[in-house]
Amino acid sequence: MKKKVLFSFISIFIGLLIIGSSISLAQPQKETTTSQSLVTIQIDKKQLKNGGTVIVTGKAPEGKPVYIEVWTEEKVRAARLDAEVDKETGKRPYIFYITDEMPAFYNLLFPKEFSDVLEKEKKEGRKWSVSNLLRNTGATAIFEAPAQAKIDRYQTTLWASIIGSRGEKLPPMDKFENKRRAMQLVKAKFRDLPVVFKADVEINPDGTFKAPIYLPDNAPPGKYYVVAKVDKDTRSETVVFENSISFPSVYLDNAGRTVNLFVPFLLTVAVTTFGVLMGAGGGFILNPLLVMLGLPHTVVAGTVMPTVLFSQASGIYNYSRIKFISWKLGITLGLAMLAGGFIGPKLTELITLDQYKFLFGWILIILAALMFWQTTPKYLEKNKKEQAILKEYQRRAMEAAQKRKEGGK
Amino acid sequence: MKVEFWGQEFKVNLFIGIPGAFLIAVASSMFGFGGGPFMVPLMAVGLRLPMYVIVGSSLLAIFFNTLMGSFRHYGFGNFDLVFFLIMFPGAILGGFIGPRIAKRLNPVIVKRVACVGLLILAMQLLGVF
Repeated sequence: MKKKVLFSFISIFIGLLIIGSSISLAQPQKETTTSQSLVTIQIDKKQLKNGGTVIVTGKAPEGKPVYIEVWTEEKVRAARLDAEVDKETGKRPYIFYITDEMPAFYNLLFPKEFSDVLEKEKKEGRKWSVSNLLRNTGATAIFEAPAQAKIDRYQTTLWASIIGSRGEKLPPMDKFENKRRAMQLVKAKFRDLPVVFKADVEINPDGTFKAPIYLPDNAPPGKYYVVAKVDKDTRSETVVFENSISFPSVYLDNAGRTVNLFVPFLLTVAVTTFGVLMGAGGGFILNPLLVMLGLPHTVVAGTVMPTVLFSQASGIYNYSRIKFISWKLGITLGLAMLAGGFIGPKLTELITLDQYKFLFGWILIILAALMFWQTTPKYLEKNKKEQAILKEYQRRAMEAAQKRKEGGK
Repeated sequence: MKVEFWGQEFKVNLFIGIPGAFLIAVASSMFGFGGGPFMVPLMAVGLRLPMYVIVGSSLLAIFFNTLMGSFRHYGFGNFDLVFFLIMFPGAILGGFIGPRIAKRLNPVIVKRVACVGLLILAMQLLGVF
């Protein structure tokens, strides 16, 4: 009985919270402009090069908390599959949320007094939640820029995944739901709490405040917007600064990150070279390293794959010139692989970075076992014979090709 | 299925070959690596084919997967052109340097080193350390 009462109490409370925040979202713009003069804001720089620190200062009404929201105009994709068991129905919803309008850089700075709340949420580890953090810091209404992103949602089913579709598109969400999902997508995109949320705003008793905005060197170029807010309708005007990047830094549009182009280039050279030596494609080593550099796993998988297209095509051409390909065998197995290749990229999207790392880890263990097997004496002996036969056949094939060529003349 | 190759006939067990190739293709396109190191053992051990049949035909089979996987990734918006343009020359250069060094190295030692390297990487990914 007691549980039930408590439960209904909580649901009423949540209901009130929902109504409260939807009202805040529906608040007409006019009111916000009238209270603008209450909060002033200045920044010490208008230009940054390859990241850096911008100091924000200003004044707010005495004794009020000041939050600072910072975001870039550059947009990037964020996606998340909701497969957690629904507390009410006990079922897994399998709804796939995706947006292409997530700010590529987003920071929400809290008053310093909230540092322990942030620490506490950080201790949750992988299970930290944006919505909990915002609720505990009274900043739910402050979180606005990512909530503007239009989020699409799809009802995913096992069958849809098998045929490689995102599933049935569901009707658009209302503002409140969109905001709630945007919070989850912020976590899915930026992953670590300290990347986005910092308790860095120093507030003096007279209401003046000061905070550093730190842009890492992998931040995207372009305009950044800064607003200081006290509550849902007391805020400063928006100030803008710009970040520019210069060679050898380049911005990867789909990854939403700036990289020094020599890093992936040299990494690719080294890994491909080693890949040739060990007789396995470079992707096995390259992909985990790129993911560890902080690039999204979807972009890594989707961009590394086509790099081998040309070397494979030239290999096939070379073998086909000496008729060293069984077309029947290659195409039969190739069709099975064609079907597999249709489904795989869909799954990349559905899994989280942690799942990607976990599965990739096991694949590498299997590969390492295969490699080890190939160095056992028994295998080596068999391989020696096989290689001799291979060379012999290849020689014959080349001779035959040569003869055809001469015959053609 | 019967396959003829340079005057020899081989029986290919498609009940192993097709599901095996399919699963390798799913994993390979999902994680974005080439399927070669898995396809070759599948064809050698699972299908009992000799190496000289495998080398060319496995490459052809994998090409289907790479082609389809690349198109699909592109369709899902996972392809980043700038990133590709950085890595592509790197891959070509690596493919040029690799065979030149390969002649001077003992393949068994290289493979054992690779083994250790892969295990370290795997432990990192699994968060063991």
